[in-house]
Amino acid sequence: MVYQSPTGARDLLPLEVAQKRWIEEHLQRVFHSWGYHRIITSTLERLDTLMAKGAIDSRTVFHIQGVGEELLGLRPELTASIARTVVTRMDGVSFPQRLYYTANVFRRSSASTHNSQQEFYQAGVELLGAGELAADAEVLLLLAESLESLGVCPGETGWQLLLGEASLTESLLREFPPEWQPQVRWGIAHLDRVLLATLPLNLQTQAMFLLDLRGEPRHILTKLSHTPLTPAQAVTLERLESLVDLLEGAWGPKFPLVVDLSLTQDFAYYTGIIFEVIGHTPHGPRVIGQGGRYDQLLGVYHPRGETQPGIGFSLHLEELHQMLSAASQLPQCSPGPEALVAALTPPAQPAAFAVAREHRRTHPQARVVMDLGHEQPVDRERVLAYAREQQIPAVLWVDIQGQVSPEFLD
Amino acid sequence: MLTIALPKGALLGDSIQLLQRVGLDFSSFLAPENRQLQIEDPTCQARALLVRTQDVPVYVGYGQAQLGIVGYDVLREKTPQVAQLMDLGFGQCRLSVAVKATSPYHTPQALPPYSRVASKFVHCAHEYFQQLNLPVEIIPLYGSVELGPITGMSEAIVDLVSSGKTLRENGLVEIEILFQSTARLIAHPLSYRLNTHNLQSWSNQLAEL
Repeated sequence: MVYQSPTGARDLLPLEVAQKRWIEEHLQRVFHSWGYHRIITSTLERLDTLMAKGAIDSRTVFHIQGVGEELLGLRPELTASIARTVVTRMDGVSFPQRLYYTANVFRRSSASTHNSQQEFYQAGVELLGAGELAADAEVLLLLAESLESLGVCPGETGWQLLLGEASLTESLLREFPPEWQPQVRWGIAHLDRVLLATLPLNLQTQAMFLLDLRGEPRHILTKLSHTPLTPAQAVTLERLESLVDLLEGAWGPKFPLVVDLSLTQDFAYYTGIIFEVIGHTPHGPRVIGQGGRYDQLLGVYHPRGETQPGIGFSLHLEELHQMLSAASQLPQCSPGPEALVAALTPPAQPAAFAVAREHRRTHPQARVVMDLGHEQPVDRERVLAYAREQQIPAVLWVDIQGQVSPEFLD
Repeated sequence: MLTIALPKGALLGDSIQLLQRVGLDFSSFLAPENRQLQIEDPTCQARALLVRTQDVPVYVGYGQAQLGIVGYDVLREKTPQVAQLMDLGFGQCRLSVAVKATSPYHTPQALPPYSRVASKFVHCAHEYFQQLNLPVEIIPLYGSVELGPITGMSEAIVDLVSSGKTLRENGLVEIEILFQSTARLIAHPLSYRLNTHNLQSWSNQLAEL
């Protein structure tokens, strides 16, 4: 029998861990600097929690049999878990709450893909209890700063943001006769112009207009403003226009924004802006993150249905890792030890351990490893060969009295 | 540079002609001595990949090609995550159920439960019989599907029919059409949304022909 990791799982070896941590530490520094606090929620949740009243497709969740009748699942994303935690565990806290996470998530891949990844790492933020325009801007500017901290530049060679509006798109879709809506929704979500071309002519024009509401922000928003809108749609549109102004004013004119009102998301809990973060790699554009506003989600978990607005994003660390590897910003080796402590004879080993302990105490950042040999006397060539192979710059020889004679290697 | 995935086989000639009309010339793929799988058009505006027809939506789905030309039958079978931009009209054919001319079964519904059905279109065939609520055993084949009923391995086949000549010559008759198929222009969804390599303007030019 050969023991392997299960299909779609993967192990991270020390160098990959060093690179992943480099990314996480840069992101965390930015999250901290904006006053966000880390939250850790359970990997296992009750299936009801994860599905958030049907907002998440249960077929994408790994089911686990809990104790008794309880059905559990592995979290496919963090927002539902954090919403549940805040509502049930943080009663009485003051809002807004600024929370962030770095965690693994699990997604069942569809049957058509063989061996595709099923465990992923994400880092993200949730800003809860703030429904204002400024909260939308805060999250998007924080996102931009996070990517900047990783050395990813905005624009067509670095990252871009596809920005949609779930409620606006939804209300534009509802203008179609109910019997045509399933077809129109499918066509818009899957960019299927061939399907939309089979609609009756007047609906076809309307559907193609919606499908093509994509491009330079002001151009698209102006185009929409020239169509007949309901008062609610007009308010949403105005808010989008203000958001674009706010982002450009705060970040400079180069905020890499593409407005896309045909954008829909897999998670059905979004109620306001939704977005995908696109990273341009040498192998083409990839989705490196996504997010949006969810103003009803917290109410799902509240015993009396009281809700709080929320908005957040998550970054996909594997995609970021791949993107950054191509640009070689990441550390290229995992940090090695600075000193190897070797006893000159087996009886000198207590003294050698004491020397190593003292060295670690006085040099808190240093990595000090022990020689584990027990020849009498020590085989100096063996120890030196090991130090060279491991690229350890110094060997500290220790005799039985605890006298240290350092030897430095080139 | 804009990359277009082109299918080997029946659709290649029409695909190349279509692209020539918007100024992209990949006709060297048609030269009998051609062994190249990737060429640039002489004006250096785009590159084409020559791949098996089933692989077109794979290259486009992963974004290695931003555009591709492929039969609707392949899209139905593979259900790839690609944007369907246009029905190109050529490459007309249909996916049909066929049986031996001497078969007692004149409709798919008449086939006895647990019949064997040979097909290259395993997914489409499975979906179709499931809709009929008729349990059948699908036998996956890679070619010469007509031999299934001839040899007695299967009662029926689900296969592409264009003129019907192959069926007739092998003593088979079509008893039901699953769907009609034509060539489609497809795009990588993200590249389409971001208008990478001016994809939008190319697809508009093709639409205006």
